[in-house]
Amino acid sequence: MRVTANTFPNSLVNQLNTLSQRQNKLQEQAATGQLVKLPEDDPVAMRRVLDMQGEAKSVGQYERNIARHQELAVSSFNSIKSLKTISDKVRNVSISADGLKSDEELDIYAKEVSELIRTAVQAANAKNRGDYIFSGTASDQPPFVMTTDVNGNVTAVTYQGNATLAESEISSGVTLSAQSVGENTGGSGPRGLITDSRFGADFFNHMIAFQNNLLAHDTAAIAATDRVNLSQDEENFLYHLGTNSAVQSRLEAADAIAGNRTDTLEILVSNEVDADLAQTLVRLNQTQTAYQAALQSAGKILSSSLLDYLR
Amino acid sequence: MSLFGTLSLATRSLATQRNGTEVAGHNLANVNTKGYSRQRVAIETSLAVAREMGPQGTGADAVGIYQLRDALVDRQIVNETGVRGAYESRQRALQFGQAALGQQIDRQASGAEGAAAASGVGSQHGIAEDISSLFNAMQSVSTTPTSVSERQVLAIKAQNLATKFNQVTERLGNLRTALNESLAGDVEQANIALEDIAKLNAQIIEAELGTGGKANDLRDARQQRIEDLATLVRIETTANTNGSVGIAIDGVPMVTGPIVNDTLEAYDAGGGQFLVRTLTGGTALNIASGSMQGTIDARDSDLVGLQADLDALAGTLISEVNAAHAAGFGLSGTTGANFFTGTDASDIAMNAALMDDPSLIQASGVAGAVGDNSVMVQMAQLADKKHAGLSGQTLLESYSQTVVALGQALNGTNAQLANQQIVESMLLRQRDSVSGVSLDEEMTDLIKFQRGFEASAKLITTIDEMLETVMNLKR
Repeated sequence: MRVTANTFPNSLVNQLNTLSQRQNKLQEQAATGQLVKLPEDDPVAMRRVLDMQGEAKSVGQYERNIARHQELAVSSFNSIKSLKTISDKVRNVSISADGLKSDEELDIYAKEVSELIRTAVQAANAKNRGDYIFSGTASDQPPFVMTTDVNGNVTAVTYQGNATLAESEISSGVTLSAQSVGENTGGSGPRGLITDSRFGADFFNHMIAFQNNLLAHDTAAIAATDRVNLSQDEENFLYHLGTNSAVQSRLEAADAIAGNRTDTLEILVSNEVDADLAQTLVRLNQTQTAYQAALQSAGKILSSSLLDYLR
Repeated sequence: MSLFGTLSLATRSLATQRNGTEVAGHNLANVNTKGYSRQRVAIETSLAVAREMGPQGTGADAVGIYQLRDALVDRQIVNETGVRGAYESRQRALQFGQAALGQQIDRQASGAEGAAAASGVGSQHGIAEDISSLFNAMQSVSTTPTSVSERQVLAIKAQNLATKFNQVTERLGNLRTALNESLAGDVEQANIALEDIAKLNAQIIEAELGTGGKANDLRDARQQRIEDLATLVRIETTANTNGSVGIAIDGVPMVTGPIVNDTLEAYDAGGGQFLVRTLTGGTALNIASGSMQGTIDARDSDLVGLQADLDALAGTLISEVNAAHAAGFGLSGTTGANFFTGTDASDIAMNAALMDDPSLIQASGVAGAVGDNSVMVQMAQLADKKHAGLSGQTLLESYSQTVVALGQALNGTNAQLANQQIVESMLLRQRDSVSGVSLDEEMTDLIKFQRGFEASAKLITTIDEMLETVMNLKR
């Protein structure tokens, strides 16, 4: 092929341009650590990475949801534990209040039970971040309202909440609630913490009845009815403690799964996008060497011509 | 032949060698002139004179100057230049489209709430990031349905996404306007080139008329203008016997000899889509290649598709979210409000009333139950729902598909342009090997003609001495 005066400069410009583009690309890869940055770099990898990053963001949100559920579960657990402690004390009083006790002693027990009812109402009206935990979805209302007579005895505790729980996602399509409703007398739905007609639980009314029997010094009714009823309430609290623990375990497991998925996604995204720094730097070095060689060799060729030998 | 005849031979020889030197000098002077083809002087022996001893030579004459050109390579370059022009303009338009979309992967990004970034998978930027953030904010509200601050975050995320849609649409609209202007600019350039070619045709016809030679430099200039024109639009050329070249576009004669038959015009074919027609034709030309075609292709195919995808995505988001939200109840029991306003990517916006008072966001599915989150859960779950209007994809998948389609188009164009540049570069080298000026060759020619000139001068000196000898015979 015939080589003309412009063959070398044109080829050199093309070669230097190509090498400069490669250097620029490799430098950018070394600086960002990424092979793929823009859609044009690798559209297919871009698609996969966008999907995976979207999933990672969702998983991150599920982890935050789980943390929120765990917080609620712990709050619920503490309140249920308090109620269970109160239940234990009331049961102890019911066992102590037998026919051998004097009327004065029974009156003192009644006073104690009355105070325990107040404490239980306080525990059942627990809040988390401004919301009542046991009101169901009517969480802006205190679930239980207590009324007393002129003597300070509790006459009634009424439920203001509902029997619906707000569930939210802990993973795609999987919803859960770490709360309990205070009362459910509808015969279906979530089990009531204080009252549930299906399981004979009606803690406040049972305590009020016990209080009234103590005031009436009716130890026979206490033995025949109140002890049995309070035993059912205790069973109900144990059920809720167990359920709460199970929910917490499930949340921990979901959190671990979400964490593992995040780690997996990190690896998958890295495989798609990340540059092998060692390889990139070696290639950059090679390209720089080629660039210098092109300049040097072209400089030598271009600097000599027939003109150097003519006089 | 007499001494005076030989003297005349030497004089013509001197002129011939000088012509050779001039042509070499012309080549050297144009070594860096774009489109220049090297020239050679054609030297032929003069007519022999019949003598008794047989025909006797009378020296040499410069009979013409010709240029070295390969018509086949020239024609191929004209064709390939048009293809390159189309790819270049398409690449430029798609790069602008990619910039308008603003979608990229940033593995080192971190943000205040960028959990994904913090966990190592990096950030996405662009609309993808905002879609994820919107649904994450919905999730947060669903876990704390009575929280006004979480609702406020949701309102801000929704507005961010809406603004991003609006911005991208505005950028794509501006890009369409810029591409229309670019098309009009190309048309103007093409008209100037057509006029130049016609003028050069006229000059060539005049210069070559009756001389028998070729107007080499004018032909170089015309070839250059033809190639300039081919970069803009696909042309068909016809060589005429008078030296002129006819130019036609999509079968319509634009230049015939020295006359410009018609000019191009960019016109609005409706909806702001500019096309190209001849001034007298009235209908759009099929311009097949060149930068004009690349611009039209990118604008009417890739970028229109991109905007349509974004509109479908925004439209689905608006209708689906609104359908769920309208059935819900706000913290104060309000109901029936839309979450988003607008119909597509250009006018999507967060409902201003909800933006001003996030407690109006209708997360609850039951009137009076502020702790109910069923509507917000339903809204959040739209992130995973496959939508029939988006080809059975989720919102994020649909957006990813849009990004990939643009990336694929640009990636393909980049590869095609690189290949085309290789083809064109090979053809240019091929032409350079035929038509390019070699300094070494020209310098050698210069020496060759210089020596010839010196020899001719020596012949004159010799004849002069011989004449002097003859003159001295009388003494």
